[in-house]
Amino acid sequence: MSDFITSVKENNSIVIIETNGYLNNVGGEAVSAVVYEKIAQGQSKFLINMAGTKIVNSIGVSILIEVIEKLQEVNGKIGYYNLAPIVSKTFNIMGLTKYSSVFETEEAAVNGL
Amino acid sequence: MASEININDLQLKYLELETLLDITNELNTFDQVSDLLHEILEKSCAVLNASSGLILIEENNSDIFEIGAHFNIDISVLKGLIFNKRKGLIHDITQTGKASTLKIEQDSLLSKTLCRYALMAPLSEKKNLVGLIILFDKESRSGISPFQDADTNMLSAIASQASVAYNNIKLLENIKEAKTFNDNVMQSIVTGVFTTNLMGEINHINRAATTIINLEKEQILGNHYEYIFQFNDSVTHLISKCENDSVTLSESQVILDCNGKLTTVNISVSPLLNDLNEPIGSVVAMEDLSNIDKLKSTFKKYISKQIVDQLLENEDMQNLGGQEQEVTILFSDIRGFTSMSETMAPNEVVDTLNEYFNLMIEIIFKYNGTLDKIIGDALMVIYGAPNSTEKDTENAVLTAIEMQEKLIEFNQRRIINSLLPITIGVGINRGKVISGNIGSRQQMNFTVIGDSVNLASRLCSAAKAGEIIVSETVWGNIKSNKLLKSRKLIPIKVKGKSLPIKIREIAYPKSYFNYGVFYRMIEEYLVQRLPKDFTYHTIHHIRDVVKQSERIGKKEKLSKDDIADLKLAAWLHDVGYIWEPNRHEVRGAAYAKSILSALNFPASKIGRITDMILATKIPQSPKNILEQVLCDADLDYLGRKDYYDNSLLLLKELRLNKEISDSEWLKLQDSFLSKHSYFTKTSNSTRNKFKAQVLGSIKQSLKI
Repeated sequence: MSDFITSVKENNSIVIIETNGYLNNVGGEAVSAVVYEKIAQGQSKFLINMAGTKIVNSIGVSILIEVIEKLQEVNGKIGYYNLAPIVSKTFNIMGLTKYSSVFETEEAAVNGL
Repeated sequence: MASEININDLQLKYLELETLLDITNELNTFDQVSDLLHEILEKSCAVLNASSGLILIEENNSDIFEIGAHFNIDISVLKGLIFNKRKGLIHDITQTGKASTLKIEQDSLLSKTLCRYALMAPLSEKKNLVGLIILFDKESRSGISPFQDADTNMLSAIASQASVAYNNIKLLENIKEAKTFNDNVMQSIVTGVFTTNLMGEINHINRAATTIINLEKEQILGNHYEYIFQFNDSVTHLISKCENDSVTLSESQVILDCNGKLTTVNISVSPLLNDLNEPIGSVVAMEDLSNIDKLKSTFKKYISKQIVDQLLENEDMQNLGGQEQEVTILFSDIRGFTSMSETMAPNEVVDTLNEYFNLMIEIIFKYNGTLDKIIGDALMVIYGAPNSTEKDTENAVLTAIEMQEKLIEFNQRRIINSLLPITIGVGINRGKVISGNIGSRQQMNFTVIGDSVNLASRLCSAAKAGEIIVSETVWGNIKSNKLLKSRKLIPIKVKGKSLPIKIREIAYPKSYFNYGVFYRMIEEYLVQRLPKDFTYHTIHHIRDVVKQSERIGKKEKLSKDDIADLKLAAWLHDVGYIWEPNRHEVRGAAYAKSILSALNFPASKIGRITDMILATKIPQSPKNILEQVLCDADLDYLGRKDYYDNSLLLLKELRLNKEISDSEWLKLQDSFLSKHSYFTKTSNSTRNKFKAQVLGSIKQSLKI
């Protein structure tokens, strides 16, 4: 597990990935690696707790889009919660929120995904 | 499926614009430089897809830049590196003042980051570089790539906005710092200070002023001064007059009645002006005289600093009332001053007394005496009150000895200046007295009263000029100090005492002539009194004669005593120029006789001094070796290389009274040098050669 991923856990058959730091190329690759590994294990629902990620660039977003595309192939879903305003704004501008869901809290995310 | 989700350029541009807008909106919300720099760096990295970045900031106008912010980079690799404004990438940016890209391999310092590409933009204040934003390694899905021109433009735009925000924060910090400094200064000064605006409302006040006004700061600020000082017409009148006339006004000893508290202050009001010199209010300063300063200013003229400090530590001592205690009392009195003052002009009397008292009081304070009274030309001093020590009596006696010794020096100066010397008698007693602050609340004086005080005064009256008379009590107190000596005197009968009082005289070296002191004082006198238009017979000539006398005297193997007298005569040999240049030797000898006699110079030696002076009259007529040395010293320059300089100065001086042509001067020199001979072996052996050359050249000039 890279420094960017601080924990991976499951809640109600949903894989919850907790991140910390810059969601860039490196951060994005770390997330995709976990997701692809879990897809291979049969998981299809993912949530990312982004409380520790205050900054994100378009490459990180691109990788998340690749992850979404991969999940679409397995009828999977991905959602995010605890987003910093700037991260939320970036996700909106980059169109990420059209294909994935943003939640306020983990509970809302687990129930709403 | 994948083709359905694409990030297009339009979205990226939108993100860039939004980020720039965010930065613009947010930058002015920061009040800490560090917060601002982190925000700029994070957003710059994010919007330009940089993998990491740092901001270097100039430290305190030095040439060295420090890391002000870093993002996603291990700065431990940069520890110890010096980012010098005069070298490397910072120097390059300073030169161009523009954002630029860099391949990291070109910069040895940044290569430690292990990054490959950098994009840099300057943070500037006016045209000065104050910082540098550096972004590293543009990310793409295919890996790391160089930054593009568009990235440079974007970072330039961010850096411009950031520079404004950074400079604003720094400006704010400077203003805060200046305000804090001013506030601290205002709060720490003991003088109460407040300012009023044009409406007359008090808008600033320091702690000392709130104490004087006797209200909380919040109760004062915003109120009109007429309301705050409603019971103090003198203050409102002063401020009002200052407002109307724009002049600085002050008043001393104003008693303020502020909310039931009376405070005596010195108050001054000045107009408060803006940059255009227009009045914007008034500034009022109030010096609280009822606090420590009042005590100090009152007591410092009468008590030594140490006693003032002790008084301040013990407030009870300032109360009215008294206590019985044992003290030592010293009285001194100038002998014959009344008759002496009858021969003096009134201002001369005052000047003499002031000079004398200044000297004496300095000694009194040195030994921790409390100056109780100055009665005419007499002084009353107390030792042991308000505070007593084991050394009180010894201090009193040491004071008396030093007073007498200093008076000898004081008188030397007076005698040299042809003024009459002053002599004093001193009486010291020790005994029980009532001490305390005696008087009314408005005016009280610390003093002592009692029989012991009267006896000290009687002892002073009994002391002849130069004597220090002490009671047996005093002697009993100090006789363990083996350095102090005394002799028994015949007991005296004093008024109010049935039995004669046993007394002693304290011994000290009374009459001695101090050559060193005399040389110094006569030099001062000559500097002040020699005719200012004289160019040759100046203090420089006299100093030279003193120096040559000592040199020749030593070569001639004269004794130390002889050389001392020789120098004394040298100092005095031209003093007569002050009164009668044509007969200066005679006048100088008469003056020497008069002052040396008054200064206790051995009478047997006065004659040799006056003879030496008289021997220098041209043609010189020395009768002994001392006179020969002085005569040779007086004309030493005839055989020295500075002959020509000195002869010109002499010619200039002679021309003050008589017209002398150049040819006449040549003839005068020829005649004088031809007739002149040195008397001592020393001068003959050292000066004749050059003197002969001078004479030869003068004769040569006369032939032409």
